[in-house]
Amino acid sequence: MAPFWTIFRFSSWRLRWTILGWGIPLMLLGLITVPFYDLVAENERQLRPVIQGLKPLVKSFIGGEEAEEIFTPQGFLALRYFAFLPLILGIFSAVAGSGMLASDEERGILDFLLAHPANRASVFFGRLLTLCCALIAILGLGWIGLWCGVLRAGSLHFSPGQLLLPYVSVLAVSAFFMTLALALSMMMPSRVTAAMTTGFIVLAGEIITSLAKAITQLEVAARFSPLTYFQANAMRDLHIRPVLGLLAFALLFSWLAWLGFQRRDIRVAGDGGWKFPFPARRK
Amino acid sequence: MSKACHSVIKVENLAKSYGGFQALSGIGFEVKRGEIFGFLGPNGAGKTTAIRCMLDLIRPSSGLLRIVGYDPQRDPVAVRARCGYLPGELRLDENITVNSALRFLRQLRGGDSACRRRAGALSERLELNTASKIKNLSKGNKQKIGIVAAFMHQPELLLLDEPTSGLDPLVQQTVMELVAEAQQGGATVFFSSHVLTEVQAVAGRVAIIRDGRIVEVAATSDLAARGTVEVRVVFAAPVILEKSQLAGLAGVELINSDDDGRFIQLAVTGKMDALVKWLADYPVASLETRQCGLEQAFHAHYGSEQEPAGGH
Repeated sequence: MAPFWTIFRFSSWRLRWTILGWGIPLMLLGLITVPFYDLVAENERQLRPVIQGLKPLVKSFIGGEEAEEIFTPQGFLALRYFAFLPLILGIFSAVAGSGMLASDEERGILDFLLAHPANRASVFFGRLLTLCCALIAILGLGWIGLWCGVLRAGSLHFSPGQLLLPYVSVLAVSAFFMTLALALSMMMPSRVTAAMTTGFIVLAGEIITSLAKAITQLEVAARFSPLTYFQANAMRDLHIRPVLGLLAFALLFSWLAWLGFQRRDIRVAGDGGWKFPFPARRK
Repeated sequence: MSKACHSVIKVENLAKSYGGFQALSGIGFEVKRGEIFGFLGPNGAGKTTAIRCMLDLIRPSSGLLRIVGYDPQRDPVAVRARCGYLPGELRLDENITVNSALRFLRQLRGGDSACRRRAGALSERLELNTASKIKNLSKGNKQKIGIVAAFMHQPELLLLDEPTSGLDPLVQQTVMELVAEAQQGGATVFFSSHVLTEVQAVAGRVAIIRDGRIVEVAATSDLAARGTVEVRVVFAAPVILEKSQLAGLAGVELINSDDDGRFIQLAVTGKMDALVKWLADYPVASLETRQCGLEQAFHAHYGSEQEPAGGH
């Protein structure tokens, strides 16, 4: 177990600036966004007809039928704050998950690390735990910022526990994307392709989930988007089944990644290019 | 278990392919406890692939491997705990200090205080600035971190993959001294290189690998004896020599001479006795000899298509 904790400690220390780099902006976002609720609430009479007059397709991108919920404290936080988190954290998850092993492998660092008495399980699970803790730490900083914002605003009455519930849903969605990126990095020839593919899935999921609120034909496709199961307005009621479903997928992706890593020939630096089946360029 | 084994490295029919490319084609050799074994071949011959199989960094397609008595695929941690590994080009996390990197690597090995002391002593000996960030170090200084990491836990087996790559001659010399000291301490050294002189200087036996196949395994002294000896003679006074004067000396051939009769270069096959006696009649200022055995064996296997480094 000693190498596992050594790897966990060292990887966590290496990620300290990443955690602060993502966590502090998220904290500031919460602090800055919440005071705007009073302004929105004061202007409800002018804004409501504007929202009602929007075409369904445009409305779908600001919450669809729930867009008018923006005038309630819960709806405001869901639409103006939590709705953005899966996208922001989706990018982090794609980069961090794909880089967990493949980044060091492509730089030739993993080769030397694995020449020391640490088995692959210690390296894999030590780093996976580090990433999970980093994700929780980033969300924790975001939660602190939001809570401070709520305390400052005074007109939103949520307990810290209630504010925490949507973060549970963000955590589940982010874990889904992070482990997906990790699994893809063990299957695809380079880290960049795995990150790009995951990023594409995040964006495509966001677009399909939003458009499905206006275009009924897309509802079937939206069922396959992980963002459909994200609960932005879970402050008073978090449905546990979608959270467990997303976490089950995260476990499945982690297991697939572990299988890939166990059987993998560790590459040395310089390998890992994506070979497209394009005809060779003339020199 | 490992102590009972006479062979520290046992390789039988080891093959490794990457898709259609055959990197190793059924190689086999044994390395005995306490010896320094040279693994010689040019870039791309399969040296690094073989070492990476030994550490379970890559999995062989077929064949048998026993390292310090363990199967690397079954007990990779047991193998790595007993081995020190130095790759030709060491890559480390650039944003940490040398001290942090060494502490991390030491902790992976259990982090005992003796290991810490040895790491400190080795860093001093190699004049490695441990407070510096790795990104600020030159290639040679980065390689020194690898040397410390490979030797600090006094491993049973040292797997050195072109260890002097990027090092200045003084540090190269220190590395060769460390290798010799490790052997005196009972360690076995597997020394991969394409630099003939350093292999010849330290290795008791040598395997020559070509295109993933072992083409020869022999004692370095046998290879050296098999070839010619190059003799360079500088005379104190001009000596005009005709080729016919050397005709009576069996196995001696004039390769080169200068016009003013001060210098000759000879190739000698067999015993030197007759040549030395013949030279006694001339005013010899200096005499230099160089064994060409390993270089010749290398060239015999590679022909003119590969040029080894540091042959002179």
